[in-house]
Amino acid sequence: MKSPILKQLERRISEILRGKDTAIKMAIVCLLGKGNLLIEDVPGVGKTTLAFALAKATDCTFQRIQFTSDMMPSDIIGVSIYSHETKEFEFKAGPLFCNIILADEINRTNPKTQSALLEAMNENKVTVERKTFRLPEPFMVIATQNPMEYYGTFPLPESQLDRFMMRIILGYPAPEYEKIAVMEEPSFRLLERMEPVVSRHDIIGMQEEAEKVRVEDSLVDYMMEIVSATRRDDRVRLGASTRGAQFFLGAAKAHAYYEGRDFAVPDDIKKLAPLLLGHRLILRNKKNFSDAERLVREIVEKVPVPV
Amino acid sequence: MSRWEAWCFMPRIYRLLTAFLGFTGCIGIVITGELNPVMTASGLAIVPGYYRYLKGRGTAPKWVIGACSVLTLVVFIFDSVVSGDFFLAVAHLTITFQAIKSYDLKEPWDHLQVYFMSLLQMVIASELSQSIVFGIVFVVFLIALVAAMVFSHFAKEGRQEKVKLLMPVSLISIAALLLTAAFFLIMPRTAFTFFGKSHAKGMRTSGFTDRVDFGSLGEIKLDPSVVMRIELERTLPPPYYWRGKSLDYFNGKVWQSTVGERHRTVKSGDEYLLGSYDKESAVGQRIYLEPIDSDIIFGLSEMKAIKVDSFFVSEDNANAVFLSRKAARRASYTAYSIVRSEVPGVRDSRYLQLPSGMEKISRLALDITAKAATDEERAILIERYLKRNYTYSLTVASPQKGMNPIEYFIFYSRKGFCEHYATSMVLMLRCMGIPARIVNGFYGGEANEFGGYIIVRQSDAHSWVEALIDNRWTRFDPTPPVPAGHLMAITLFLDWAKMNWARYVVGFQAADQRAILHFLVSPFEFQTFLHLTSAGKLQLLLYLIFLPTVLLSTVYLFRRVWGFERMDFVSRKYVNLKNMMSRWGFALQSSATPEEILNKAQGLTVEGQLREFLELYQRHRFGCIQMGPEARMKYGQLLKRIRKGLKGKFP
Repeated sequence: MKSPILKQLERRISEILRGKDTAIKMAIVCLLGKGNLLIEDVPGVGKTTLAFALAKATDCTFQRIQFTSDMMPSDIIGVSIYSHETKEFEFKAGPLFCNIILADEINRTNPKTQSALLEAMNENKVTVERKTFRLPEPFMVIATQNPMEYYGTFPLPESQLDRFMMRIILGYPAPEYEKIAVMEEPSFRLLERMEPVVSRHDIIGMQEEAEKVRVEDSLVDYMMEIVSATRRDDRVRLGASTRGAQFFLGAAKAHAYYEGRDFAVPDDIKKLAPLLLGHRLILRNKKNFSDAERLVREIVEKVPVPV
Repeated sequence: MSRWEAWCFMPRIYRLLTAFLGFTGCIGIVITGELNPVMTASGLAIVPGYYRYLKGRGTAPKWVIGACSVLTLVVFIFDSVVSGDFFLAVAHLTITFQAIKSYDLKEPWDHLQVYFMSLLQMVIASELSQSIVFGIVFVVFLIALVAAMVFSHFAKEGRQEKVKLLMPVSLISIAALLLTAAFFLIMPRTAFTFFGKSHAKGMRTSGFTDRVDFGSLGEIKLDPSVVMRIELERTLPPPYYWRGKSLDYFNGKVWQSTVGERHRTVKSGDEYLLGSYDKESAVGQRIYLEPIDSDIIFGLSEMKAIKVDSFFVSEDNANAVFLSRKAARRASYTAYSIVRSEVPGVRDSRYLQLPSGMEKISRLALDITAKAATDEERAILIERYLKRNYTYSLTVASPQKGMNPIEYFIFYSRKGFCEHYATSMVLMLRCMGIPARIVNGFYGGEANEFGGYIIVRQSDAHSWVEALIDNRWTRFDPTPPVPAGHLMAITLFLDWAKMNWARYVVGFQAADQRAILHFLVSPFEFQTFLHLTSAGKLQLLLYLIFLPTVLLSTVYLFRRVWGFERMDFVSRKYVNLKNMMSRWGFALQSSATPEEILNKAQGLTVEGQLREFLELYQRHRFGCIQMGPEARMKYGQLLKRIRKGLKGKFP
């Protein structure tokens, strides 16, 4: 059964972001699996709220970086400034140095800045002028991308997309929830009052626990079969990478842990597959971003589940 | 990756298998020994062909293949017209085809062609040969074919990774062999051969046709091949005269039979009756006759009944017995004889016929028998005279031109073999007005202690004399005894193996099927059941053990083949559940997860039990926790309850 802390965490977040249980759950899974999250959706459906709520509820430091086209890498990593007192260059940490980063509209900034962020989030450290700074733990980037606006944007290339553990879509809330959201206090005010449910250390502990989740050998085979099926499919120009498979395994473990098990089951893998693999595929005729997910769903339906 | 590329990556062993199959097919057809050696020689091209192929040298140029094919076709048409035997022409064609194909292996399809052609060769060979060697080649072929088909399946799927083949191949091979054996046992036995016409020419013998050149027995007497193997149903002291055909007309060079018509015998039960007889005193001889180029069958004189699978059994007026031509090819039969050296007969002028120029021989005969008072004494004297005064030899010089070979034997060379002796005696008897005829058959044979049967060879062919004395055909043998050569133990042992092949495989007949059926059924006949002897009880017990064993091992085999074997209790029950739900109309693909299964059952009464069951399943299957006895019981009970619940839901 689900652990009470995680249940509480989920409930706390869903009080603010209503009707988005799946997205909340996936965000938590992503956090537990030490992955980064890409939210792809139109503006105003609660991308920021989700990220902020997650940070607040887990007692994590939070920074929102609104990406613009004139941003430089130093704007997020930080700069070294000459100090008159010590007569030395001192590193002034940028907004990157906190637990949860919301990289809002990451496709608005130039590739240089994008890659600086993505490298940092992949290695969990930053090197400035031959000095290496470790990023705090836990560390998670939640990037958002608006798929509707293309003008003046730099869409993330597939090689960069591959560094995200999952891509989720929020979508509009169901009518009943939307009505409540419209009538009630604005969410930023609710967020201000939000009390953390767990501590940062708890999260680190849970991450470690999640890593120990057992994945039976035939399940790993099942997962690999899905991954290689995406490579074999005629409609796909580029299938999932090995890194994708690594993330897949981590996410499956985190999902199992989230569900309160110390072992993974086929459902962990099957449910996660579209979210895990969708953004890693390049389709032969790309129509829109949900096509890839649908395709992964189709592929998964053809892979036999180990019994 | 295209199929063609995948093909290039095919493991070496697969190519090796194709080569092996092509080769085995050709070997199988060549060892029958029925093919034209020149045509067979063209098949030698297969060796460099496959050598090149395995070395990866690529295919021969198209025009060469084309030219060879056209040439082959021409040769084939010529062959089938000239030899008149379309069947053998096809056999030749398959060899040439295999040879050409070995230079032209490109696509997957080509490999399948090789398999098909090898299979055809095996079918042809089975028609031409019944030798044990072919049996062995066939088993090897079958196993290789199974392996090749499995490989070809993987090749079609484009899989290149190493596939565990040993188990599936051996299992399928065993299954195929078992099935073949089963078919062998239950296939209806008819007197037809597979291709309607018998093609094997059989062993060349002489002496058993209506026309026998004088001296021709000498050739086959040099041949050590086995003609027949005989099991006697009761012990009988030698000598054994395996009577074949008697001949009555001699023109000085050729013996002929003029008794003419054969008449069919009456069938009574499963025996063809040649005369009424007393079963008690008859000696049964189970005879396995190698294919020979004649339809005559042999047996101790006087044969009274024949038990055989044949359309008919016919007999001529001189006590020779014949089968239908087809049946004679794989003849194994039981002859029942009242063994004696004299047979009732009637006087007939044809048994007094003499060729011209017999004056000298006639005088000699009178000289020899001067002291005798009766026909019997005369015959004995002549027999003794020939036995004592002549030398046995298989190497006989031919007489000068114009000289009668019998005269040459009696007065000049004084050397000869059974035919000379017997003919001389017949002519002498006839000179004195005693009806006589020559009888060709086999004499003696060697006992094989391994199997308790008698081996008769071509070299045991023999001629002897029957003289009509007091209206009884009495046997005389003027040939001096020849020391018989003995065979080595190993030869006898090998012959025993061949005998078993002939006995249990080639000679497996409808009667044997009936016997097996009877054996299997008999314990269950009510009457028998009441009076079971201890042997019968043992048989019943064996039957009860045997049948479930076969059944269980079949089930086990199938499970292994279908991949059930690695499944433990937990998975098996889960699969049972899935299958059960599929039967009840829940569409469950192999990609269905436990949760999806649960979702399908939403709202059903069994949902709770199903959830519990699936939880147990997942915990023990993927959590890798051993299922304890209690959990096991619960697990099984849950499944039962779900089954019940579903039944209630869908009446």
